[in-house]
Amino acid sequence: MALRLGIILALAALVVTSLSIGAASLWSGDFDAAWLIAVSRFPRTAAALLTGAGLALAGVIMQQSVQNRLVEPGLTGTPEAATLGLLAVTLIAPGTAIFGKMTIAAASALAGTFGFLALSRFVPRHDPMLLPLVGIIYGGILGAIGLWFAWNADLLQFVGIAMLGDFSGVMQGRYELLWIIAALSGVLFLVADRITILGLGEDYARSLGLNYFQTQMLGLVIVAITVAVVVVTVGSMPFVGLIVPNLISRWRGDNIRANLWVVALTGAALVLASDILGRVVRYPYEIPAATIFAVFGAAVFLWLLYAPPRRKPQLDGDRRKPQLDGDRKGPQNG
Amino acid sequence: MATRIPTTLACLLLATAAQAEDLTIATATGDVTVASGPETIAVLDAAAIDTISALGVTVNAVPAMPPLPYLSDVFEAAQPAGSLFEPDFEALAVLGPDLIIAGGRSSTQVESLSEIAPAIDMTIWGEDMIAQAQDRIAAYGAIFEQEAMAAELSAALDARLADAVAAVEGQGEALILLTNGGNVSAYGDDSRFGWLHSALNLPEAYPDLTEETHGEAVSFEFIAEVNPDWILVIDRAAAIGQDGEAAAATLDNPLVASTTAAQNGHIIYLSSAPLYLAGGGVQSMMLTMDEIIAGFAD
Repeated sequence: MALRLGIILALAALVVTSLSIGAASLWSGDFDAAWLIAVSRFPRTAAALLTGAGLALAGVIMQQSVQNRLVEPGLTGTPEAATLGLLAVTLIAPGTAIFGKMTIAAASALAGTFGFLALSRFVPRHDPMLLPLVGIIYGGILGAIGLWFAWNADLLQFVGIAMLGDFSGVMQGRYELLWIIAALSGVLFLVADRITILGLGEDYARSLGLNYFQTQMLGLVIVAITVAVVVVTVGSMPFVGLIVPNLISRWRGDNIRANLWVVALTGAALVLASDILGRVVRYPYEIPAATIFAVFGAAVFLWLLYAPPRRKPQLDGDRRKPQLDGDRKGPQNG
Repeated sequence: MATRIPTTLACLLLATAAQAEDLTIATATGDVTVASGPETIAVLDAAAIDTISALGVTVNAVPAMPPLPYLSDVFEAAQPAGSLFEPDFEALAVLGPDLIIAGGRSSTQVESLSEIAPAIDMTIWGEDMIAQAQDRIAAYGAIFEQEAMAAELSAALDARLADAVAAVEGQGEALILLTNGGNVSAYGDDSRFGWLHSALNLPEAYPDLTEETHGEAVSFEFIAEVNPDWILVIDRAAAIGQDGEAAAATLDNPLVASTTAAQNGHIIYLSSAPLYLAGGGVQSMMLTMDEIIAGFAD
């Protein structure tokens, strides 16, 4: 109860802070405060919240789908594939409207995620580190292909900036696609139970009567669209999908239906906090939220790896299922 | 073998010139002694290629780099010599140039390059870009024995600068913005584009911007708060599509529209490739100043 209240209060405080901090002065009289909030502050706040919530939820789906807690959409080649699609459409038809770009980025993100899934079937499950490593290599290969095209077209810095999640360009008319994430989250809440079962592994899930393949596809389509929307509108945000679900799972166990909203709110709060910090550290200039989050995320990730478990997960499931917070003390015991 | 013909012509012309003699020229790393009248040259910096070809000198080898429309003939006639950052040492050794001119992105390679042929670092960077550009024109004029042409170019650059200074005088403060996709950075008077402020006596709308190669990432709120009279836009992503088009889409929003610059139609989209890739080259600077003169005249 305290946790829920704490998250909601923290989130409310962050939203108020975010609405009142920015390069333009809200109260100097140069601008109409209501206009400034409507045009700039509210869109930016909403974008950070939607991005954080969407990526954290995408992390949950991804981890359940491949039954590995160390995997997140950022480690499965998904953003690289989305960027590749974005790059292709930028090169072939630079004038394409944002929705067209988004659709192509989502399609290529989906293809990239399927590629990872196909690869994951060949990865031995005895060491939980193997799958993320395969994902990093796979993403690296996709990224290298994108880099090669970008280098040839003199778009290296374009890609560099597109890949770095940053809310400084967000304003009215620039972020509305992110509301798709809100709709996708709604779908996710409806199928939360199935996603939980997905995490038990294919054999268990099938014996419980779940259409395993269909559920996995649905989950991955949600992941791909979420990541594509985020990459196209704000850029890629690493670590969110990795650390938020793990943090929540550590506190509350693995009942996904009960956890989803906590995961979403925590992801939203952390990304918004990163954006606020990025706005303040070098005021009035900006530091990308992704940079701030990566520093914070790396620290939390190390803590997650090495801190002793707080409690055993409620759903232990398949013993092959790799766990961060099970009885293992660290990766070296894997 | 079409590329050989201009080379041969240049050789014939140079053969009639005076015997090569040693002369001392100013480079980015201090005074250096080089032999005048080199027959085969490799130039690994866009600003240097720009100024040297403006002197009517044939460049034999150039790095592969994003296209600069006004130099396309020069690039087509020359041999490839690696990339801007990584020269192709083998190709250069085979070419056997009499002089290698590096600068900017290739300046770190000068030492290794000097094992192939005399190599000089002609980087143009930092304060007083116009004076540096003038120094380079004079140096190239001396090296290639084109002093008369160099004096003409120098005078033309000065005249254009005077026109530009007159055009911007008393017109208010400006903010230099670089757009890259949906993001924007601002550049101050000691940045790579700073000469637009310092040489042209164009006041800065936000004087606190400090020295940063890649500018300061700013939000649209920042632009609205600074409220400049003029906005000079450089579109980093303009390598594809038309110059200015993508940047205009990025800046088309209510916050930018609220500035004095936007309300008076004072947003000038500069051709980004010459300014960004060949900054300090004489043709590039003249082109940029032409755009500013035209923009401020409206």
